[in-house]
Amino acid sequence: MLATKSTPKSGEGMWLWLIKIASGILIILLLLLHFIVNHTGLISITENGLLTHEGVVQYYSNPLIPLIEILFLVFVVSHSLIGLRSIVLDLKPSRSLLKGINWVFGIVGVVAIVYGIWLVFQILSFLPA
Amino acid sequence: MSTPSNQPSSKNWYKWFDPRGKDLGSYAFILNRITALGLTFYLFLHLIVLGQLAIGPEAYDNFMAMLHNPIFVFGELLVVIAGIYHGLNGLRVALTSFGIAIPYQKQIFIGLLVLTVLGSLYFAVRMFTA
Repeated sequence: MLATKSTPKSGEGMWLWLIKIASGILIILLLLLHFIVNHTGLISITENGLLTHEGVVQYYSNPLIPLIEILFLVFVVSHSLIGLRSIVLDLKPSRSLLKGINWVFGIVGVVAIVYGIWLVFQILSFLPA
Repeated sequence: MSTPSNQPSSKNWYKWFDPRGKDLGSYAFILNRITALGLTFYLFLHLIVLGQLAIGPEAYDNFMAMLHNPIFVFGELLVVIAGIYHGLNGLRVALTSFGIAIPYQKQIFIGLLVLTVLGSLYFAVRMFTA
């Protein structure tokens, strides 16, 4: 293994690279929380994990939770799509093709995030008023 | 200007699949990408399936019952293994990208491989004996 620095690739600007790394680290933290909540009984509300619809809705009654879940979604979608784009960049697409690819990734990302936010509100709608 | 043979290009994409002449770091990178693709696939599956939550309690609870099928449990185990490897290796990439611990990359990588194997065993036991 070379004792050299890992460097950003051409076509991927500094910001995308930085966002990829920052979102990756945040994902590790949020994933830990996500796992503990969904699969263990360490947080009192969730008993043995979020195994029923009712459990999920109850978990979302704390307003901090929808916020964290939406942020989690944004980080994961960004990290995933920037990463996919990096793989595509290794095929050296032409500049115009790359522009098209950027648009596709952008639209997929926005759709995924909007859908996720809609899902959160669907869950919240099950809360008793 | 000719590019050196290890530079990315669409002409020699098939070299991605040639196992010869690759060093440890290349394999770390390849595994990172494979786990990334697997996790991305899972992400979109997960989002679609969470639509069941939106439908209501019965749809969701029925779906959760279906997840006890060993095929699904195995699939989830693969996701867990991919997540552990990708996360730990990602941390190694993050560190070296900022010039931290570069001379120890190899040891760090071996260490994270061991952690991945241990984690995989732990979750395999936990998930199949619950």
